[in-house]
This record gives sequence, C-alpha cells and structure tokens, in this order.
Amino acid sequence: MAEGKNRARIQRFGSHLSGMIMPNIGAFIAWGLITALFIPDGWLPNEDLATLVDPMIKYLLPLLIGFTGGRLVYDFRGGVVGATATMGVIVGSDIPMFLGAMIMGPLAGYLMKLVDRLFLDKIRAGFEMLYNNFSAGILAAILAGISLKGVGPIVNSLTNSLAAGVEVIVNNGLLPLASIIIEPAKILFLNNAINHGLLSPLGVEQAATNGKSILFLLETNPGPGLGVLLAFMIFGKGISKSSAPGAAIIQFLGGIHEIYFPYVLMKPLLLLAVIGGGMSGVFTFVLLDAGLVATPSPGSIFALLALTPQGNYVAVVLGVIVAAAVSFTIASVILKTTKDVEEDLSAATGKMEEMKGKKSAAAGYLAPQAAQGPTADANSDVLQEGAVVTSDPGMKRADQVRRVVFACDAGMGSSAMGASLLKNKFKKENIDIPVTNTAISQLPEDADIVVTHKDLTPRAKEKLPQAEHISVENFMNSPEYDKLAQRLKK
Amino acid sequence: MAKAVLKRENIKLNVPLSTMEEGIRYTGGILVDNGYVDAGYVDKMLEREGMASTFMGNSLAIPHGTEDAKANVLETGISVVTVPEGIDFGSGNIAKILIGIAGKNNEHLEILSNIAIVCSEEENIDKILNATSEDEIMDLFSEVS
Repeated sequence: MAEGKNRARIQRFGSHLSGMIMPNIGAFIAWGLITALFIPDGWLPNEDLATLVDPMIKYLLPLLIGFTGGRLVYDFRGGVVGATATMGVIVGSDIPMFLGAMIMGPLAGYLMKLVDRLFLDKIRAGFEMLYNNFSAGILAAILAGISLKGVGPIVNSLTNSLAAGVEVIVNNGLLPLASIIIEPAKILFLNNAINHGLLSPLGVEQAATNGKSILFLLETNPGPGLGVLLAFMIFGKGISKSSAPGAAIIQFLGGIHEIYFPYVLMKPLLLLAVIGGGMSGVFTFVLLDAGLVATPSPGSIFALLALTPQGNYVAVVLGVIVAAAVSFTIASVILKTTKDVEEDLSAATGKMEEMKGKKSAAAGYLAPQAAQGPTADANSDVLQEGAVVTSDPGMKRADQVRRVVFACDAGMGSSAMGASLLKNKFKKENIDIPVTNTAISQLPEDADIVVTHKDLTPRAKEKLPQAEHISVENFMNSPEYDKLAQRLKK
Repeated sequence: MAKAVLKRENIKLNVPLSTMEEGIRYTGGILVDNGYVDAGYVDKMLEREGMASTFMGNSLAIPHGTEDAKANVLETGISVVTVPEGIDFGSGNIAKILIGIAGKNNEHLEILSNIAIVCSEEENIDKILNATSEDEIMDLFSEVS
C-alpha cells in the first residue's frame, strides 16, 4: 500500500518535471541553434545575433520553465505568479536558474492556489478582477523578493562546496571520481566556477610543463550528454524522441552542452547516466594518458580535436566514445525500465491521470460514505449508500470538489448570474467551496463541477471531460442548485 | 470609470414589443444610444441569441453579444426593458424583463449578481413588472444582496 502510494507520488513528480520542460524544448533548441551558430567560436560568428545568447538562457528559458511549472499547478494564474517569482532567482544569481525556476514556478502556483482557496469564495461578485490581480500581484512580488534574497547565498555555498570537493579529488589523483560532482554541477550551471575557477588554472599549469593536461577534458567531454540524447532518440517518446536528434547535433557538433540539460532535468535519474559516462570517459583518458593543450570552448567534438596534441587523437576520441557508450547504455536502461512512468504522458493526459489517481485513492479511503445518487430527490432525506467510487466523472462529494464553475459562451452574462445564485445558496448552507464563472473556452482545470446551460453542456464536456457536468435549463431558478447545495453540505 | 453601468436612462418601462428580434434590437439600441457599444454589437446580440437562448427563467432574458463581440463594447453597461405583455423567446419561454448586457472587463458582475439574486425571487419579478418609475428599478437592483 505504502509502496503504491510512493510510486504514485514519484510518478506524479516525474510527470511534473517533464511537464515543465517538454513544452519548452522548442525554445531550448532555438537558443542552442543561435548559440552554436553565432557565438565568437561558432560556425557563423555574428556579434549582433550573439547578443541573444545570454538573455535567452538567463531570462527566457528559466521564465518559460517557471511559467509552465506554475501553470501546471494552477492554470494561467499560477503561471503568471510562477514566472514572476522565478524572476527573483534569476536576478538573484548570475548563473542560468533552471533548477530555481523548476522549484519556484510550481511552488508559486501552489501558494497562489492556497491563497485563493482562503479568499476566493469570500470575494463579492464584481470584485473578482480587483482581487485576482492584486492577490496575484502581491504574492508574486513577495515571492520574487524572497527568492532574490535567498538564492544568491545558496548558489554561492553550493558552488564553493562543490569546488572544494573537486579540488580534493584532483589533489588525490582520483580523477574519475570528479565526474560525480562535475556532471550534476553542469546540469545546475555550477560548472563554470569549477571549470574556470579551478580546473582551467590547474590545467594551464600542467600544460605549461607537459604540453597538455587532462583537466581540460573533465568538463568538456561531449560524450556523456551525447549518450543521453542518443538514448532519447531510440527509447524516448513524443517530443523528447523527435527533438533529440537536433539536440544531439547542437550538443555534439556545436558544443552547446546546455541543450541536453533539460532532458536530464525532466528525468533526474539520468544523472546516473551522465555520471557513469563521465567517469568511464575520464578513466579512459587517464588510462591512455590523454590531454588537451587548452580549454576547448565550446565543448564540441571539433574544438576538442583542434586542441588535441599530436599522437593523442586516439586517446581523446576513445574517451569520448567510451563516455557516450556508457552514458547511452545507462540512459537506455533507465528510459526503458521507467517508460511507463511518464514520458508519453503529455501535459494534459498526465494531469488527467494524476487527478484520476487522486480521486480513486480518495474514494478508496473514504469508502462507504453516504452520497446522493443522480436521481435522488433533493428534498428527500433518503440517501443512497456508496455508489460513487468510480474514477469516471460521476457525482462528486464535497471533499472531491475544489471549485464549481459556471460557464457560458462569453462568460459575460448567464454564467455570472447562475454563479451568483449558487454562491448565495452555498453561503446560506455554509458550504466552503468557491463558485466562479467563465467562458467555456477558458474553463480552468481545477473545475470539478461545471454547470452549463443544456445547449452548451456538450461543448463544456468536450473542453473538460474529467469534470462532473450539470446541465440546467433555467439559470435563474434551477432545482439543480438546491440539489447541489444539499449534496455538498457537510 | 467614465460611465455608470446602470443609470436611469438605461431603463425603459412597459415597452410594447412583440417579437424576440424587436426586443433584442430595442434592448441593444439603448446601449448604442447611450454610448456603451457600437452599432455592430446589436447584430452580435442577435447572433448570440441564435447560438443559445439567453432566456434565464423567471420571465427574464439577458441578451448580450458573443465572446468576440467584446471588441464592440466601448464601456461596460446594462439596459433594462420591461414588457409586461411578454415576448416569445423561443421554446415557449415568455420573457417579460429584458436585461441587455455589454461587459468589457468584469465590471458589470456586481450589478449582474444583484440582478440575479433579485430576480430569483418570483415576488421581485412582479415588483419589477409593476414598477411605475425607473428609480424603483434602480433601488431594487442596487440593494446589497
């Protein structure tokens, strides 16, 4: 039982991670292409176009992740707050904040949801706009401020301890172990401090005396990343599969390693693959006494080869190949054994599954609780037992309903009137469930009960199939309102 | 906000109207005349009525534009027309109170929610139909629920 619960939790977590990254892969690829082409060491160096590189990776990509993360949790509203809160971690640190965005986005969305749950049903009709904008604005401002202040120290201390770790490893000659720190640090963008602050200076010293240094290869080996992307090309699903080849070209030939980070971020277990790949690559380098004459930048296979001293080509190429092969093997095993967990769950279906899981679990624990059947008369005191344990959107009980939403075509008239009436009824019965109104085209994901005019119900069902749908003929005076109030009363 | 959402000039009592189209054109016409919407909005109101009836029950209909008609809305406003003889709003629904809505943001929701709560009581419907002055209507709808 506990195992099953944990499994479900991990699944949900996994589908959230990929849900944050996947929709934005296009932006990552765009950034990768621009970077590979136009940076000074790129294929078509262009100073103007290269100015895109930095803002895109520092602002655009984390903001997209933060927005998507917030949106996953709490629709557009969560997205807006998530992106704004993410701005705090972006400005507060000087490295690209993917991880920070992946934390702040959903967290901010979740907090917004909590705040709304506290207040939403207490807002008088007509003041929703005012409340919506200001509550989101205030929360977002606070979160952005906190994350700005908090993230700098965290990043600094992380970087320092990682650098210290690498230093110990290098000094003791245990180079392959350095990958355990370097590979995860790359994904978190903490690699530059290690590479340029520690490895490069040491490497330059070694190169000055020996003509080459292996330290230049530790972080720049494109093999581990290539292995992961190749694994996605073969064992991935959906967007991750179809985008992997392009990403592999950008990464391996273009030397823009960052392009594979999102693939690892959406499946953190893949860290094992890049660590394994990195370690075996370094081990090969050590064994064959490989080295480079300077730091290759960007870390493309071409740059590596250009900086390889005479007679070392075999060693360098072999190290890259070994790293890619090992990383590919581990990543393939991970992708194959866990592919039922997420991957193919594109954002929408993933969330649906998740909600279903939640529902049936809740229904299971609370088993034979009284619930009114669909045909029960609102006025009768005879309640039907059990009944509602299916995961189909049948009749929902109070604990399964986060929000009742009235919907009409424009969200302008009828739905607003209906919502006011039901809100009034709920207030009289002390029912603590928010009632709002909207246009059908904008039905929010957390609407567990949707009320529409009978002519529009089919459209609403199409838009939000997992919700319970109530059809009314008369918005002003529907027996359904009383039925619903009776059913949801505590 | 430049204009009150509901003002005395937006209310017309005991208007002799006989068809649904006439009723919608009249209700929308008030919104046009008082500068809440441009003339194109009225056609959008008819179009919306064709999609699904705006008859709400309790002798009340709330004609308004389609979702894309929000571009035709200059200011948020509502108009109130009473037709004690009643108009057939389709499917045998007889509307006696027509409330035309032009919503820009959600500024009209407060008053709309008052209208909903007021009109959900049958006795208030009678009060509205028997009203002799626009002020009575204003008072009824502005009462805090």
